[in-house]
Amino acid sequence: MSRSDVLVDADWVENHLDDPGVVLVEVDEDTTAYDKGHIRNAIKLDWKQDLQDPVRRDFVDRHGFEQLLSERGISNDDTVVLYGGNNNWFAAYAYWYFRLYGHRNVKLLDGGRKKWELESREMVTAVPQRPRTSYQASEQDSSLRAMRDEVVDSIGKRNLVDVRSPDEFTGKLLAPAHLPQEQAQRAGHIPTAKNVPWSKAANDDGTFKSDDALRALYEGEAGLDFGKDTIAYCRIGERSAHTWFVLHELLGQPHVKNYDGSWTEYGSLVGVPIELGEAR
Amino acid sequence: MNAAQPSGEAEQATGSAQQAAGAQQGCGAPAGGVAVTAGASGEAIIEGHVTRNGTPPTAGYARLLNDGGDFVAEVPLGEDGGFRFFAAPGTWTVRVLAPGGVTADETVTADYGRRTALEVSI
Repeated sequence: MSRSDVLVDADWVENHLDDPGVVLVEVDEDTTAYDKGHIRNAIKLDWKQDLQDPVRRDFVDRHGFEQLLSERGISNDDTVVLYGGNNNWFAAYAYWYFRLYGHRNVKLLDGGRKKWELESREMVTAVPQRPRTSYQASEQDSSLRAMRDEVVDSIGKRNLVDVRSPDEFTGKLLAPAHLPQEQAQRAGHIPTAKNVPWSKAANDDGTFKSDDALRALYEGEAGLDFGKDTIAYCRIGERSAHTWFVLHELLGQPHVKNYDGSWTEYGSLVGVPIELGEAR
Repeated sequence: MNAAQPSGEAEQATGSAQQAAGAQQGCGAPAGGVAVTAGASGEAIIEGHVTRNGTPPTAGYARLLNDGGDFVAEVPLGEDGGFRFFAAPGTWTVRVLAPGGVTADETVTADYGRRTALEVSI
């Protein structure tokens, strides 16, 4: 898999947004953004209402994912192009879902909604109608998802990458600063985790840095051992999906998991080790 | 700024946020990109408006950087050009991004219980 298999630029999208086999999907942290304007022919997925179980803290299950995609008119053979706000955080999260449930052809729009908007490209409010499909999902691919016990067991053994901002890593903030400071019971990070903020993988316009720059960042600057398996986490798993995308999809690392329980789970567990301050 | 923090400070931030958060449960961004609830006196709020020739730009983003220049958060500007961050005591930079490659940086200080307001003209 190479960069061109998983990433498209805005010109590509403009040239293919009327193709019958291409489905543009906007997934935003701010779930009202789509309603104010979106790329023509794009449909919307709500990361919370559509992709989360309404009762348990978990994803929609396989059947739920099949129902969702069938109802939105996405078929197994479609090329799904995801994009969203906040530098594609939640689009990367959705990308990871599509991979978890085995969708073959899924891509991210490099730079997401922000780059599109800042380049003053066309935005519309018309919502496309797509005929219903019969989507068939695979069983969840557990090689892409880390659960809490595996994370605790990985301390000191695997690469743990904390992709939150330095202020969240050290324990100064509990959430990104555009949100009220809520959530986990304790601040800090998982012992032995390295702090490589997701933002270091992106340019100011939200596009991903070059493969060479990314390799230098993770292997060189951060000192990750690419011979080991890796688990990425953040607060709720969306920024770490962005880093999972970088490590697994762009750099082709074979064993990278996203821990979607992330700090909101780990920082509330009883009896697990936590470090405060800089990485040791 | 990145030094280890005593847990008391973190707990202070948590407590005040929980009082203020109300309906802002979970993790989604506030509707429109700008948090609407900011009533607690214990928070370190940085907020403001961006204008271009006196009116809000059609599109734009506000990014918060810490004093090491690291990305902390980014929000799309509201329809009125507004933005709001929940920070912590210290020095921060607000970087505005707007169409046409326009960027503007403003350095501010924040503290708990204080609302730091900015008017950014681009």
